Amino acid sequence: MESPVNASVGFRTLERQAKAVNPGQKHEYPQAQSLTEPHIQSFNSIWERAGPRTPALMDVAMSLVEKQTVFDHKGDAESPLGNKIVFWMDTLRLDHPALSARETKSANRLMYPTECRQRGITYRGRLTGMLHYQVNDNPVVSEERALGQLPVMVRSNRCTLQGMGPAELIRHHEEAEEMGGYFIINGNERVVRLLVAQRRNHVLALQRPSYGNRGPGFTPYATQIRCVRRDQTSQTMTMHYLTTGKLVLRFALRKQEYMLPVSLLMRALVGATDKEIFEAIVGGDAENIFVRDRVELLLRSGKEHAVHTRDQALAYLGDKFRVVMSAPEDATNIEIGQLLLRRMVMVHLESDRDKFNMMAHMVRKLYAVVSGECQEDNPDTQQLQEVYLPGHLCLAIVKEKVEDFLLGVRAEINKNVRQDRVDLYNNRYLARLFARVPSDVGLKLQYFMATGNLVSKSGLDMQQVSGYTIVAEKLNYLRFLSHFRCIHRGAFFTELKTTGVRKLLPEGWGFMCPVHTPDGSPCGLLNHLAHKCRLTTVVEETDAVESALVRMGVEPGLPAPAQRDPHLLTVQLDGRVVGYCGQAVAARIARALRMLKLQGTLPFSMEIGFVPRSHGGQMPGLYLFTTPARFLRPVTHLATRQTDHIGSFEQVYMDIACLDADVRPGITTHQEVLPTHILSAVANFTPFCDFNQSPRNMYQCQMGKQTMGTPMHTYPYRTDNKLYRLQTGQTPICRPRIYEDYGVDNYPNGANAVVAVISYTGYDMEDAMILNKSAHERGFGYGSIYKTEYIDLGKFRKSGDPVTQHFGMGPDALGRADLLEHIDIDGLPLPGARVDDGKPLYAIIDDVKGRTKVKNYKGEPGFVETVRLLAGGLDDELQAIAVTFRIPRSPIIGDKFSSRHGQKGVCSVKFPAIDMPFTETGMQPDVIINPHAFPSRMTIGMFVESIAAKAGALHGVCQDATPFQFDETHTAADYFGEQLRAAGYNYHGSEPMYSGVTGQEMRADIYIGVVYYQRLRHMVSDKYQVRTTGSVNPLTHQPVKGRKKGGGIRLGEMERDALIAHGAAYFLQDRLMNCSDYSLAYVCRTCGSILSPIAAPATSHIVDLSGGDGEKTQSFTGLSAAEASAIMAAAGSSVHAGRGPLDLSCRLCQTPDAITMVALPFVFRYLATELMSMNMKVKLDVK
Amino acid sequence: MDGHVNDPNGPRIRIRHLDETSIDFVLSNTHLSVANSLRRTMIAEVPTMAIDLVEFHDNTSMLVDEYLAHRLGMVPLTSHTVDEFKLTRDCTCADYCKECSVEFNLHVKCTEEGTRTVYSTELISSNKDVSPVTEGPDDKGIILLKLRKGQEINIHCIAKKGVAKEHAKWSPCAAVGFEYDPHNNLRHLDYWFEKSVKNEWPLSKNAQEEMENDPDAPFDFKAEPTTFYYNVETVGSLKPQSLVYMATRVLQEKLGGLELALDEDQNPESNANMDDTEPWV
Repeated sequence: MESPVNASVGFRTLERQAKAVNPGQKHEYPQAQSLTEPHIQSFNSIWERAGPRTPALMDVAMSLVEKQTVFDHKGDAESPLGNKIVFWMDTLRLDHPALSARETKSANRLMYPTECRQRGITYRGRLTGMLHYQVNDNPVVSEERALGQLPVMVRSNRCTLQGMGPAELIRHHEEAEEMGGYFIINGNERVVRLLVAQRRNHVLALQRPSYGNRGPGFTPYATQIRCVRRDQTSQTMTMHYLTTGKLVLRFALRKQEYMLPVSLLMRALVGATDKEIFEAIVGGDAENIFVRDRVELLLRSGKEHAVHTRDQALAYLGDKFRVVMSAPEDATNIEIGQLLLRRMVMVHLESDRDKFNMMAHMVRKLYAVVSGECQEDNPDTQQLQEVYLPGHLCLAIVKEKVEDFLLGVRAEINKNVRQDRVDLYNNRYLARLFARVPSDVGLKLQYFMATGNLVSKSGLDMQQVSGYTIVAEKLNYLRFLSHFRCIHRGAFFTELKTTGVRKLLPEGWGFMCPVHTPDGSPCGLLNHLAHKCRLTTVVEETDAVESALVRMGVEPGLPAPAQRDPHLLTVQLDGRVVGYCGQAVAARIARALRMLKLQGTLPFSMEIGFVPRSHGGQMPGLYLFTTPARFLRPVTHLATRQTDHIGSFEQVYMDIACLDADVRPGITTHQEVLPTHILSAVANFTPFCDFNQSPRNMYQCQMGKQTMGTPMHTYPYRTDNKLYRLQTGQTPICRPRIYEDYGVDNYPNGANAVVAVISYTGYDMEDAMILNKSAHERGFGYGSIYKTEYIDLGKFRKSGDPVTQHFGMGPDALGRADLLEHIDIDGLPLPGARVDDGKPLYAIIDDVKGRTKVKNYKGEPGFVETVRLLAGGLDDELQAIAVTFRIPRSPIIGDKFSSRHGQKGVCSVKFPAIDMPFTETGMQPDVIINPHAFPSRMTIGMFVESIAAKAGALHGVCQDATPFQFDETHTAADYFGEQLRAAGYNYHGSEPMYSGVTGQEMRADIYIGVVYYQRLRHMVSDKYQVRTTGSVNPLTHQPVKGRKKGGGIRLGEMERDALIAHGAAYFLQDRLMNCSDYSLAYVCRTCGSILSPIAAPATSHIVDLSGGDGEKTQSFTGLSAAEASAIMAAAGSSVHAGRGPLDLSCRLCQTPDAITMVALPFVFRYLATELMSMNMKVKLDVK
Repeated sequence: MDGHVNDPNGPRIRIRHLDETSIDFVLSNTHLSVANSLRRTMIAEVPTMAIDLVEFHDNTSMLVDEYLAHRLGMVPLTSHTVDEFKLTRDCTCADYCKECSVEFNLHVKCTEEGTRTVYSTELISSNKDVSPVTEGPDDKGIILLKLRKGQEINIHCIAKKGVAKEHAKWSPCAAVGFEYDPHNNLRHLDYWFEKSVKNEWPLSKNAQEEMENDPDAPFDFKAEPTTFYYNVETVGSLKPQSLVYMATRVLQEKLGGLELALDEDQNPESNANMDDTEPWV
């Protein structure tokens, strides 16, 4: 193995500085740009032609939207349906984001993302479409129709930043390396999550017990295919095997499930006779008794419908589906049948013959899995998966909304027909008709982006209705970029009790990162793409592939039983049966195709999945894929030394070596480019992660994303709700090579700390860490939080109402020096001013009340960073501002830190420097951690980082921490040990240390080195909760919950149990009663009720102040509240005398004699009242 | 210690190396506690001057106020006249005055294209003896911040006397190397080793000053360290030799206070005379 000293690793501080000062036209970190590629390219493909013969997906989608036909029913006997109108829509165009026409005050009409972020608006462009309609045979009328404002993906081909380099991006207040890939919705950056989908156009054999419960005769066996149309919308079909030998095809139409007999469908597709169907299914395997018997049963079961010809079959289908297909009224049953086949059955194929062949293959595979000839497929493997790409999802939504618009128009006409108001020859009627139906497609997509909820009539063949979009939090660089690489399995699987879907499968090697997944409930469901994994986005032209196949000996069509060769393999290209050939031919073709692909004659992204015949394995065949949304990754082709892009389907059947030693001559065809390619970008940033116990690397992936770091350089142009910033970030001495590729150095996430591993003073117990007070004072971990508050005076004003509130200081406020200290004379906060809780922040002049209202600041002490004046739409006057506060967050006790090895700890004390232990050279650790943090966690990588960075610091070099560089013969300990020895230090990284307190040398040498420490965003200032008294729930009088409201922490049932077990009765009384809803209540000893003692009417207040004597009585009338409470207090003291205060009497017993005061939880009184309402009495037995 | 300079049994200091920023000396004939006290005092209790308050009149630079203030505080100031200043809390003035503080002004605006670097030497001091530390006349000092065209900084800083116990910015030293018993004759430390202690643990240069005990000789478990090797590196605010000197003086003053307090304890009647003395510095 090559030497780990790598020239490509270096700090390159000056280089980077020069680039920062003089940004260029080209991106410095193309690899970072490639992270968002699937997002951007899939969005681009909606609007842009991929090639001369592949139109933009939007145009494809529109061509697939059915034209709507409606009749006005004003006809005569000859044509009872009357006049006909046909209307459709096409040529959808999306403009670059620009100011709306109503905003007249700006000369520059183009809108840039930064403006949307700062104003809290949506980054969107105008969507228009051409609406065409034709009445009877009159000429077609076309008009442009506005379809609202559609959100635009940043850095896509509809974005105003498209094609800009660092210099221009900076000019537009963006990051120099802005990657885009997200939408800006109401000022928030939102990403459409990548979702795992079933591999398209490939038949899967499934065995699920639940299929057996679908109805009588159903078995657990089925085959399923997710067919994807040319516009990337899909339709899933499942073929069930019934015990009767019948096969039914199940599909969903408008979220409603339908089942059709397969024999009927096969007949309807090509008008196949029984013989044709038999031969198509049996193929060359004519001797297979099992299959022959099944086909016989299948054909026999088809007889019950009495359908013998193609037209009969189509008419049968058309009759059943006339209503649900919303077909034109004049369509015949046969036409509707054809419509059903076109729109619902094998939609990835155009011709009925292809559909028939594929259906035959589907049946054959189903029989194969039932007979055990082939294995059922596992839909959880990456082999049989692909991805729902954001662009494709957006397109599907837009397409459906356009369809909805057309259906809406149709419904409107039909309504008018019933009302007899329709007049198709009246242009004004038509104009109003189309205007009446809402067509704001843009708003619908914006809703989808903002909430992640899919509102759809068809369901879009998706398995979930919510959770499609997430906020791309800019907490730090790692978190932001991982949003674009995360890939979710689907919300459905989160509920699943079985854990099979979460399993890490070998099929995902190189595509899914085995490390980067959260632990807990989303574990294994929320994965991240390996950093070199790409997703295809281009629709390839496949004519060349097909002609190559035929040239190389693929027989077209299906094998016939006459050939009597059971070993013929099916050859499929993107789910279309091209033909068949023998196994040897198929193997040869696969090899030849690979060479053609490497030469560049065939698409580079083509997958050549050759599944050889096996005993009960996967269904054999040669499966080729060129479609978008597949996983793809680079490996080296050994024979040509070229980079070959392989997909997840073919990978399973390929021989790929990892290291040189793994290459087996004659067998191995490919080799990994680098072993680190299996890890995600974030997992790759863990130094020496190959030395750590694997869960620790998972934790680091999470913690790296929670670090308070440097998320951006554009703080002045951001109005995010909350932004973190580490003010004293450093570049790590020890980092993997990949740091350079992604430009992580520009976004530091922590600081290099001198770390000693000692148990010192006990303050470092249980993962606590001791911080050197001087290190803290010199700025270690110093950070700030930026919070932005929007203040909109027009929020509660209805549109059209006059403006009554203005920012400003009225004459009544201008004289107040105490206000002017905090607020500018324009009523706005002073930039740079310090703000404290309860201190004035801004002032409003209220026209209605005629005086100045001063609003106060709420929250932690901080500073006003910026005050932004926002144009609130169309108002002439300033009505909205955004104030950004900067809150300093110096590390304090209780703040969380971590190394890059999943070793987190809480700062327990800031130790004075003189008391810290020190080495002979006078070095004092910045951080002390306890040795007990290591044995069970086995984060050896942290030890290695410690010595590596120590040696790096001593020699002034940057250390390469790329994993998989060392092995047993060439160890990291030796490599860095030698460096330490050369610097005059102990080989193993230990040093003698002296106690700072006594100066005495410690009994053991101490492991001390340099480790990069991250400060995590979890800070006590955001979490501490304390309460003595405070707000209570009005109903129960118990303390409210919630930190924000100053509530208490619940002492729950289990805590109560523990206290009871300890016998801590007094404490329990204190918690549950005195500090909670302690109250005094009167109870009548005679009837035992706490509700019946009620004050007598005010006219007859009689209070016995003699303590129960009863003779000396005073009478009062008209007590004031204060007097009453004084008397009550006096009376309260006389409780023990046995008689209650005399102004109370028991309603039930009609006497005040037996009233006693007791202490009760207030909620008990509530309980008694509630029970009373249900006619139940609570009786207290007071003694 | 003044009284014991010639005492053959008293502590002795031998300076091995001295330059502008560091001093290497051997302290012998004393107890470990004394040696460590000297180390601790040098780090934390020798007073220096450092910027403590910053008034911002204008700051349109990229650095936020509190961050820049923190940077300014860390700038070492020449403090050889530190004894002439009072601690602000002991001073009679209400806020700050010449007796207890030095004022600095910095007003820079970048008017040209490109980046204008602002150095610590651009701080204008009100006291010629207290100014940012430089390495020679050509040194511009520490980079405080950088300005782009149109950015401006206008600040007023107040430097005060203080000790590093309070904040690290007042520390006169960067690091204090401290060692005793380089051969581990006293066996305070059990070296961990894989094959051989000798090969894996490099001897420090202080090992030349002492002899290694004969490994076969009986171990003297009563032996105590008497010779201590220091290597003090300053940040430039004080000369190394004056740092050591001032540290011994601070230590003496503290011991003096302790002595008085002990006297007072033994002779309670003399309390009246003690009222105005400050036992702890």
